[in-house]
Amino acid sequence: MKGYRKFFLNKFFWLLITIVFAFILNFILPRLMPGDPVAAIIARVAQGMSSSTGMKDVYEQYTKLFGTDKTIIEQFFIYVKNVIHGNFGLSFSQYPRPVSDIIHSAIMWTVCLQFPAILVSWILGNLLGALAAYIKKGFDKVLMPISIFISNIPAFGMAIILLVIFGVELKWFPTSGGYGFDLIPNMSLKFIWSVIVHYQLPFWSIVLTAIGGQAIGMRSMSIYELNADYVKYSRFMGIKDKTIVKYVFRNAMLPQITGLALSLGTMVGGALVAEIIFSYPGLGYTLLNGIMGQDYPLISAVTMIITIMVVMANFLIEIIYGLIDPRIRAAQLE
Amino acid sequence: MRKKFLFFLSILIISGVILAACQTATETEEVPTDVTSEETVSESSEEDAGTLPRDETLYFNGQQWGTVVCWNPYSSNCNNAMALAQQDNARVPMFETPYLYNMLDGKMYPLLADGDYEWDDGMTQITFKINPAAHWSDGTPVTADDVAYTWASHVKYNTQFGAANKDYIDTIEALDASTVVVKAVLGDDGKTINPLLVQAYLSSNYVIQKAWTQKLEERTGEDPAALMADTAEDAVYSGPYHLFFSDDTKVVLVRDDNYWGQDSSMWGKLPVPKYLAHVIYKDNAAGTTALQAGEVDVSQQFNSNVQDLWLKDNLPISTYLEDAPYNIGASLPTAYFNMDSYGLDQVAIRKAIAMAVDYDTIISNAMTNQSATFTQVPRSLMNPTPGEQALFDHDAVADLQWAGNDIEGANALLDEAGIVDADGDGWREYDGVNLHYAATCPNGWSDWQAAIEVVAAAGSKIGIDITTSYPEWSVYQTVVTNWPLPETGYDILMMWSDGAGPTQPWGRIRHLISGEFAETTNNWNGNWGGYANAEADELIQAIPTMTDEADLKEAYTRLVEIYLTEVPSFTLMYRPQAFHTVNESVWTNFPHQGDGTNPLVPPLDLTDGWSIAGLYNLTLVNE
Repeated sequence: MKGYRKFFLNKFFWLLITIVFAFILNFILPRLMPGDPVAAIIARVAQGMSSSTGMKDVYEQYTKLFGTDKTIIEQFFIYVKNVIHGNFGLSFSQYPRPVSDIIHSAIMWTVCLQFPAILVSWILGNLLGALAAYIKKGFDKVLMPISIFISNIPAFGMAIILLVIFGVELKWFPTSGGYGFDLIPNMSLKFIWSVIVHYQLPFWSIVLTAIGGQAIGMRSMSIYELNADYVKYSRFMGIKDKTIVKYVFRNAMLPQITGLALSLGTMVGGALVAEIIFSYPGLGYTLLNGIMGQDYPLISAVTMIITIMVVMANFLIEIIYGLIDPRIRAAQLE
Repeated sequence: MRKKFLFFLSILIISGVILAACQTATETEEVPTDVTSEETVSESSEEDAGTLPRDETLYFNGQQWGTVVCWNPYSSNCNNAMALAQQDNARVPMFETPYLYNMLDGKMYPLLADGDYEWDDGMTQITFKINPAAHWSDGTPVTADDVAYTWASHVKYNTQFGAANKDYIDTIEALDASTVVVKAVLGDDGKTINPLLVQAYLSSNYVIQKAWTQKLEERTGEDPAALMADTAEDAVYSGPYHLFFSDDTKVVLVRDDNYWGQDSSMWGKLPVPKYLAHVIYKDNAAGTTALQAGEVDVSQQFNSNVQDLWLKDNLPISTYLEDAPYNIGASLPTAYFNMDSYGLDQVAIRKAIAMAVDYDTIISNAMTNQSATFTQVPRSLMNPTPGEQALFDHDAVADLQWAGNDIEGANALLDEAGIVDADGDGWREYDGVNLHYAATCPNGWSDWQAAIEVVAAAGSKIGIDITTSYPEWSVYQTVVTNWPLPETGYDILMMWSDGAGPTQPWGRIRHLISGEFAETTNNWNGNWGGYANAEADELIQAIPTMTDEADLKEAYTRLVEIYLTEVPSFTLMYRPQAFHTVNESVWTNFPHQGDGTNPLVPPLDLTDGWSIAGLYNLTLVNE
């Protein structure tokens, strides 16, 4: 395992470097956007304000408070100091709410919507792709084209179609919110049922649009593997189909696992379309508003989480690959 | 052997990941309970924690966008649209003002105050009494000292309400426990600088309890930033409702059955709905869907083609007026000319563009006819309310008004001014230079964008090239509020103007054309095009101290004349102060035109100014 330790340390070193640079970029990039975020706060404050000197006072008060009057270098060091203490600062767009509070209240909704949706679409997509490649027949001729067709409907289109058919017309599912419009969260069965019912449309709008992409990838990989020399050789050798399928599946799965890891990494960004169309709570819409309102602290914090999750997912995948596939380890260490 | 070990290990890891994931998937329904543990439920009994009874809850939409941030009446950053708005028509379900403004008759009615306020003879100070029945949610009486301390705190901590008014209000003092004296800032001539703004304070700003303010000061160490950033969930209030529940998806207020206003000197009863609830929708479409489904009773948002809801869908939905424009227009979304842009210093060019615009198309497309047309209410500086329309001489300005789409007239005007297409390229020139302009408004503001497109289309019909540009709001607002405007991209820009209020139409006119805002930075007031006119400035300064109605009418008429002659900006449509669409499947007896209420209840969402009176008139459909 000596080689593996070297492989691991090498990857870990690059992980740290990536995170440091990502941190710096996460800080700088939002601040390069044109416009003045404090002006947005003043826009809200300005209602009913008829004195222009008063307006200037208030403007200066907020610039000082958010430190936007300081140089970007100074702001960076203050930010680093705060982040080390676990403080992401106060949000500009939802001032005086702390960024951590915003993320805390929204992230569970996002993760609980996205995580199962990504997994279900990944599993269903891969299953469909593998079956289409191996069994062909109905899977390849009927199900596969249908799933590709559905997946090519843009996410907002799918969400609106589901909303209109199952929400507005058939009235099977509610049209908006994370739970009943007339409920206050509690541990009753009624509330839990309401959450499950409200979950369906946003969930399926994500799953249905994601299945096709996964299925195409898996189908191509499987077909490629099924025609590989080792499969033909195995068949000549008289090895059972079941065993061959296992080999094929293992090899075809590798890129799919990378895809899964990456999509899990980016899920914190939120299911923006589903959130907007179904007024579902979550981070996606909050982040969009943050970007529109140039909410530097919020943007930096959310993109930092996304970055860390993607980097970590990549790192874990590489480590697992190193374990699963000695060829990768060997190639990396050359 | 090693290979086998690695194979098993990897299978173990992968299946572990998948199993863990599946586990999460099946547990999803439990998640919101975790989330809610962080949220605010101010009262929790077994019954309250569950369902909001439909026949005790009035549902709103279009007010609250995004999560409520705080409940602090000293802050204007709480994003708390159900409870906090200190404005011309102050939002009074939780905190209360001494007076309530009624936009329909322009009068102020006592709320915390007892009887009308009075100016002294020299018009230097206002005196009013506090209603002896008024008490706080903690049972202590509302006193004149509370009013005085509120103002002193606004000034001390330079809150936006202090900053906005300290140029006009000197002090607010308690003469005794129930008598308040508001002393105005006086000019060199010993007269009040602006009596309009002094009296507007009484219906725009809350009275906040002194004892609670002191508690707030203590815990924030009297630091202004900390004081205004406090979430203030413990705030003592005097209004009929207070916080019941708030999270990322909704905000609910619950009635205080100990509310002082049930005293016979005020409402004589409690407001009818026990709960006021506002689900947070993410866009207008979601809000409209909920309104159609009967999940919203009062809709304060733009519902496109609102008449289809009752004409085509046969839903029990209605607006304040039975026919178009469905609501009472109060504010005037306006296109401002950048006076520094080449050629736009010429009245002929400005007026020609304004005359050529097809306002009927704007009103039918952008507003789906939810605005009066300029034939119905000819343009001036006034909104379409009868009170404001009566303030100027219509005949005197009739020749100056234009209804739009007058291509012939606009072309004639330009030809007459010698602004013609001399080189035959299709575009007119001024002093040999082609006229090219950019008309702009924020991206995503779809009704404004539709209006700007129509402005651009008008240009091509009169030989003036007008292109459109839609920067993001964050960029747009930074640029237009800080003079000088860029040389390109902001020649014709769209912004708002004031709605209905106790200082109107004076405040709106000031914001539209007063030279005090021209060419300034941090300008959130108005006159974004940098227009200056000495005569207009004099009139704007004089009006607040005028008391004679004939003088006032003369001054306003002259201002309208100046505005329509000089055309520094032009109104594109009339927009209601608040959209007011109601679904009467659960509640009924909402404010409607001719509903027989006296004083008339304005269609302002049953929360703003005198419109809160509507909450006392509601009845259940199935009662």
